[in-house]
Amino acid sequence: MTATFERGINSFKEVLDAPIASFFASCVHCGLCAESCLFYTETGDPQYTPVHKLEPLRRTWFQEYTLLGKLAKAAGLSKSVTDAELAAWEPLVYDSCTMCGRCSMVCPVGNDLTYAIRKMREGMAAAGHAPEGLVTATTRAIVAGSPAGVKWVTVQAQIKHMEKQFGIEIPVNQAHVDYLVLMSSWEILNYPEYLGAVSRIFKQAGATWTLSEHAYEATNSGIQIGVSDLARELVGRIVKAAEDLEVKCVISPECGHAYTAIRWEGPNLMGRSFGFEVKHILEVIDELHASGRIKLKGTLDKPQTYHDPCQISRRGGVYEQPRKLLKEIAPQFREMKDTGTMNWCCGGGGGVGANERAEPLKLISFKRKKAQIEELGVDTLVTACANCRVTIEEALEHYHMDVEMLGLTELVADHLEENPS
Amino acid sequence: MKRPAANNIGSALREAGISRRDFLGFCATLAAAYALPAASVGAIAAALEKAPRASVIWLSFQECTGCTESLTRSHAPTIEGLILEQISLDYHHTLQAAAGEAAEQARMEAMRANAGKYLLIVDGSVPLGNAGYSTIAGVSNVDMLKEVAQGAAAVIAVGTCAAYGGIPAAQPNPTGAVPVSAVINDKPIVNVPGCPPIPVVITGVLAHFLTFGGLPELDDLGRPKIFYGESIHDRCYRRPFYDQGKFAETFDDEGARRGWCLFKLGCKGPVTYNACATTKWNNGVSFPIQSGHGCLGCSQPGFWDMGPFYKALSMPTANVEKAAGIAAAAGVAAGAAMAVANRGKKAAAKAAHAPVTVEDLEKKP
Repeated sequence: MTATFERGINSFKEVLDAPIASFFASCVHCGLCAESCLFYTETGDPQYTPVHKLEPLRRTWFQEYTLLGKLAKAAGLSKSVTDAELAAWEPLVYDSCTMCGRCSMVCPVGNDLTYAIRKMREGMAAAGHAPEGLVTATTRAIVAGSPAGVKWVTVQAQIKHMEKQFGIEIPVNQAHVDYLVLMSSWEILNYPEYLGAVSRIFKQAGATWTLSEHAYEATNSGIQIGVSDLARELVGRIVKAAEDLEVKCVISPECGHAYTAIRWEGPNLMGRSFGFEVKHILEVIDELHASGRIKLKGTLDKPQTYHDPCQISRRGGVYEQPRKLLKEIAPQFREMKDTGTMNWCCGGGGGVGANERAEPLKLISFKRKKAQIEELGVDTLVTACANCRVTIEEALEHYHMDVEMLGLTELVADHLEENPS
Repeated sequence: MKRPAANNIGSALREAGISRRDFLGFCATLAAAYALPAASVGAIAAALEKAPRASVIWLSFQECTGCTESLTRSHAPTIEGLILEQISLDYHHTLQAAAGEAAEQARMEAMRANAGKYLLIVDGSVPLGNAGYSTIAGVSNVDMLKEVAQGAAAVIAVGTCAAYGGIPAAQPNPTGAVPVSAVINDKPIVNVPGCPPIPVVITGVLAHFLTFGGLPELDDLGRPKIFYGESIHDRCYRRPFYDQGKFAETFDDEGARRGWCLFKLGCKGPVTYNACATTKWNNGVSFPIQSGHGCLGCSQPGFWDMGPFYKALSMPTANVEKAAGIAAAAGVAAGAAMAVANRGKKAAAKAAHAPVTVEDLEKKP
């Protein structure tokens, strides 16, 4: 089989559920979502109005599921969605939406537009209108086990590096432990220090944990491209490994969409609840810190701020934990104006980072974050998402900005009080 | 009639014993009525004070003098009345001292001296059936109206009779009474209906003419929107009782004593547009509904022919609950049928779903 327009439209009909129908029926056309979307605010181009990105899906709903729409279609008053239209909408649905969820926060009638975009991508992908970069990444995720093509041998090499650097053994394929630790491709390739930091924190806390050679990759390209069949396959690998090893908890790494994939979409994709808990690494660190199992010392004496990863803060609810931890070690912490659940996206989430075509737009949209950083006058930016970190580091280079990026997990590991009395 | 020595309104008012404070109060009322900012009160006062005497000719046809009474006697001496009576009026049957030839001469003189600039105020309807039904100095109403209107800058039809025919035009309309607008069609006409109209509405239109040099914005029935823009019902202080479904059933029941809504006793507030509920009557003392009686709808066309005063508007004549029940059931059935059809369509789409594989993602020709 191949992707066809008919499969795409069939998929639209399939994903149109009660929530989406109520969103379309209740939209009051106020345009507030435009002002909340950084692709609109940074370009001023009205085609980037979030609800407009859903137009083909909205028309399908109108014509297929409403009485007026059926009549209008029969009378030729409402034009059917065409393949060319879907092709034209591809950049709107994939390049100019990071599924950051900010529009869902401002909608006065409470429409979760992000949810609708996620569903719309199902039809776009089935119709063959997903961006090439995302198709490649998804293919690699399914075939090779990681969207960046990272194989287990690469992980093994990084394990050796980290064990050598910190002198702590990193457990692999251990059953009945507290935590199964996942990573994203970026952490394996760019920031292996994350793995070292986790080993140091768990050693200090006396927690048992493991990596799994069958499930080391947490990112889920299936969700980003919008193919639930593939997303289910990717989540299923993690669920199987975790249940085979009978771990108590699976830890989503410093990667925003991975957290959404395994924690929120995962059980819905699998159609059942898991035999283990799912937490973000910051939740785990905060719990260990709050219960006194780890203690922090020393301070980071630089003006710095925290970039909220959308999927972790806004869509995931983990925004107090990083601030509690930073309060301990960063006396010069400064808060950005729009922060927490109303933060501005880095511009590279939701598959935009894997989509080369979106690169110029991604850099334009970064101007918002750039302005936020400059307004605060900080030279250090802490975050908890490897994808945000890569996106921002590249953009900082592009705009010749002298700002250092830090992962919060590593920052915590660097401030552990060894052997507290 | 008495002519003031002063040649502008400001000095004339002071001669008549109106304090500046009262005058500013009147200007503030106008500013509020016209939805102008508070800062404009001074500007209105300045414009009005300096305004030269605008000549006004008042013609009374088939009327009861209630409109004049409203203006001059309601809370005498009113500033509204004084503005008209002492400042502007050149000819008015009831108010002028002159009679006979002298009176008509005053009219002719005013028409000649202020040709094209004077305002014509008319109260009462015009009989077209037989000229003899109503004549003044041997001239039929319709002829006099045409003659005076010819040189007028604008015509203000005061009262429901002049505006829409009123009582004389009520069925079976024995005199063939018509409103001013049925006779005059080449001059701007402002209708100030009401039986009688609220005094400030009459002077408000005049003051607008003097201050801004034009007529206020009118609704589709020719009434100034500022005074007739909202229904009595919408501005009625008893409206919350209507919304709660609390009605007086008779004029002496518990509901009536508690001041509940008079809708069921025939109040025409919901279909009547006027300022009674806001400006009220007798210097803001009260208005009919506040006195315990429903609105009669006197400022609407067809007043007297709108059905009985004490019959409620749109009271259901048939078993409305039953009809509504059937309609609701039909709606629910249609909605359910639609939902079943939609559910079927979604299920079909789900059944037609072939799992998407990575090979599928490439669109092949």
